[in-house]
Amino acid sequence: MVAILQAVLSGLALGGVYALVALGFNITHSTTKTFNFGQGEFLVAGAFVAVSGLLLLAGKGITDPLNPDDVTLLRYAGSMVISMVVLGLLGVLLYYTAVRPFVGQAGLAWVMSTIGFGIIIQNVALAVWGPSAVVMPSPLGNDVIRVFGAGILPQEIMVLVASIAVMLCIDVVMRKTKIGKAVRAVAQSMDAATLMGINVSAIVVLAFVVSSSLAGLAGLLIAPITTASVYMGLTLALKAFSAAIVGGLNNPRGCMLGGFLLGLLEALVGLWHAELREISIFMLIILVLALKPEGLLGQRQVEKV
Amino acid sequence: MKGRAHLVGVIAVAAAIALVPFVTSNAFYLKVLFLIGVNYLAASGLNVLVGHTGQKSLGHAGLFAVGAYTVALLTARAGWNPWLAFVAAGVMAAAFGVLIALPALRVKGPALAMVTIGFGIVVEKIVSEWQDVFAGQQGIYGVVPLAIGGVRFGPREWVWFTGALALAAHLMIRALLKGKYGRAFMAVNTAEVAAESVGISVYRFKVLAFVISAVTCGLAGALIAQQNQYISSEFITFGLSIFFLLIVLFGGSSVYGPLLGAIVLTLMDAFLARWPHIQHFTYGALLLFALYVMPEGLSGAIRSAARRLFPSLTRLPPLPAVAGEWRLSSAGEAPPAERLLLEARDLYKAYGGVVPINKVDLEIRTGHIHSLIGPNGAGKTTLLNMLSGIVPADRGSIRFGGKDIGRLAPNEISRLGVGRTFQNLKLFNAMSVLDNVKVGLHTRIDAGLWTCLWGLPASARQERKAGDEALRILAFLDLSEHALERADSLPYGLQRRLELARALATHPRLLLLDEPAAGLNPHETGDLIEVISRIRDLGVTVLLIEHHMDLVMAISDHVIVLDYGEKIAEGSPANVQTNPRVIAAYLGQEDDEDAEAGGDADRGALPAVDAGGGHRG
Repeated sequence: MVAILQAVLSGLALGGVYALVALGFNITHSTTKTFNFGQGEFLVAGAFVAVSGLLLLAGKGITDPLNPDDVTLLRYAGSMVISMVVLGLLGVLLYYTAVRPFVGQAGLAWVMSTIGFGIIIQNVALAVWGPSAVVMPSPLGNDVIRVFGAGILPQEIMVLVASIAVMLCIDVVMRKTKIGKAVRAVAQSMDAATLMGINVSAIVVLAFVVSSSLAGLAGLLIAPITTASVYMGLTLALKAFSAAIVGGLNNPRGCMLGGFLLGLLEALVGLWHAELREISIFMLIILVLALKPEGLLGQRQVEKV
Repeated sequence: MKGRAHLVGVIAVAAAIALVPFVTSNAFYLKVLFLIGVNYLAASGLNVLVGHTGQKSLGHAGLFAVGAYTVALLTARAGWNPWLAFVAAGVMAAAFGVLIALPALRVKGPALAMVTIGFGIVVEKIVSEWQDVFAGQQGIYGVVPLAIGGVRFGPREWVWFTGALALAAHLMIRALLKGKYGRAFMAVNTAEVAAESVGISVYRFKVLAFVISAVTCGLAGALIAQQNQYISSEFITFGLSIFFLLIVLFGGSSVYGPLLGAIVLTLMDAFLARWPHIQHFTYGALLLFALYVMPEGLSGAIRSAARRLFPSLTRLPPLPAVAGEWRLSSAGEAPPAERLLLEARDLYKAYGGVVPINKVDLEIRTGHIHSLIGPNGAGKTTLLNMLSGIVPADRGSIRFGGKDIGRLAPNEISRLGVGRTFQNLKLFNAMSVLDNVKVGLHTRIDAGLWTCLWGLPASARQERKAGDEALRILAFLDLSEHALERADSLPYGLQRRLELARALATHPRLLLLDEPAAGLNPHETGDLIEVISRIRDLGVTVLLIEHHMDLVMAISDHVIVLDYGEKIAEGSPANVQTNPRVIAAYLGQEDDEDAEAGGDADRGALPAVDAGGGHRG
């Protein structure tokens, strides 16, 4: 029982990270019908920029080893801002070099170009930070908190709280504010949105900025749990995309739900047979595609003939 | 002429493969040659999937692994004969190709690319984590290489064997893509619904493309495992999937694309292997920038450069003269007129709260021209889509020629003799006008997969026959002079007519036309009236949706009026014109203030979700 509770809690924390990245996929996909296939590398970049941010704030060089007492809550918050801003800028660069030239071109050229962009980011990260994993201490320490007997790391609670808070924010912004309305209008029809005086290109760039910053945030949140490694991106992004498929790529709340579901599934299956984690996720995807291809909360897209 | 150039090329390449291993004995050079062959083999099949069928796969390292581990386990663990194991690798890979194709039938585009990445990653995880069977990173040693007469292949033999295999793959894939299979792959790539409408099963062709690519990738894996006599999970990476795809994209989708891609990228890979960082960085840069510079790949860039330098290359070959008027295959046994051809009972379809088709009965009789009219949003296109199998009915039955077709796929309905055109044109844009019509003849070309794969004379004969018939169809519709132009280069009115030609090519008994006159000028509309009557005279029954009332009244024998998904009237044109319910539907009731005048009035306030016809459709 305790083991299950523990798995549920850490599964939810992991799910929060998936949900953030999945939400990022949703935001650019709904506005431009594209998304960043190199999102995993962006997540890696987010984690390493955060590490360097922490070092800078502690007055050290950006590739020095990181000690637990370098990491305070304030510096962690500061490095979060740095990481999200840097990744946001990277999102702008991605959009102008790898997405905009290819949008609407046949053969999904943007898939290749965003993968290419991701590979370049990964190799830059390799050149700067090297191939070995970096341990990022949690600002809240490593003392296990007991909840009904189950041990949970303070970082996991923070991941859960932070991801839910960010998602609530985005949900409210999308539904209640003028800019959210503009984003949804662009998602429905770019042409109509332009005619209504919405600056569509600005909204699209904004979508990539938000999506990339979310990846940055996810990297920063997950690094203290899994350590930061240049090679962790692909699987994380793939799981986040699976979450988006499961929940419904065109529904932001579906993406969040999918993230948490996947996190739970992975943690619970891992409890039983660790090597079956990835396979179970893939099976779930096949199942969802067979039964409800538009995702749990997604809307069926009717192709016009 | 083109055929002769190809033959010379093939002989030259074969001679090079045979002789080069005598020129050098340097193991490194021979290994690079071997790798070019392996990469070409993998890419040539992947090109069918990616370049021709348009299914992006980023998980082919998984299929490579299937081939490699099949050979490794069968020879090193089960003691199989290496040749048998090599063949088994291809078979296993084909089976996994079917498996990876299944999601492809449910998701499209980027989501499919992601799912295939998932497949690759799962295979990677299995071979690296399931240590008992696959030995993870340590790998399986003692994989038995191919041998002839007990003598194991050395570096030279590997180059010869791989070269021969690659050459065979090239010849077979080239033969396959030249004929009906190549056209069907392209049709699935450009317009799936239209492919179904001419009897091509999108499902079967997607699976076939996946299987072809799986076999070549699996054999490539087997070659690598047997040549190295070793395989480990280190080989199976996402990077490998990317590398295969990069060869195809960089090379371009022409049959020679994968060859160019394999040569350039294998050489680059071998050259940069000393600096792994730069190597990967280069792949990233290539993925990002090669598409800017050469959207059609290297082969496309070379082709357009050659056309600029030697304009004579673009000259089109003359068309063969074809005598005789085109006839339906069933022309001799003209169907008795006035027979019930299609009967729909109680059809019902709802999208949420919107009911585009509500309990509609329909009878289509042979030899007639039936028209389906009604205001925008009345459900006309939905009804047509239900008859052709694109939209399944929630309730009700459809019988065609006495056979229940309510649950059949569109391609099966097409094969039974229902052709159709589309309101929003769905031509195979990148193909020539002639080829569009040949796609329509797909089910009439009696050549199987094996005949085409081996390029047997029967396939060439069938191909010539289809070409002749396509030209006769084009002549029937006055399109002959455009036969070799690209479909999307035609003016709009001719594109509509080409759709008609493609639908006719399926030899339909019933032809469904969705607003054939939309966007035509009065002169073209007049021509269309004449064309439709000629089609009727061939013995084809016609059901058309139209807003041009002059056209409807001029040629229809029978008019059916839909409004809000219900049939409100039917009968002869004159009858329908005076029917008070029809007048009310088109002009509005007297108390309607926003009633518009004119026969072609569009209603302003219809449900926002328009599942049916109309200009928005």
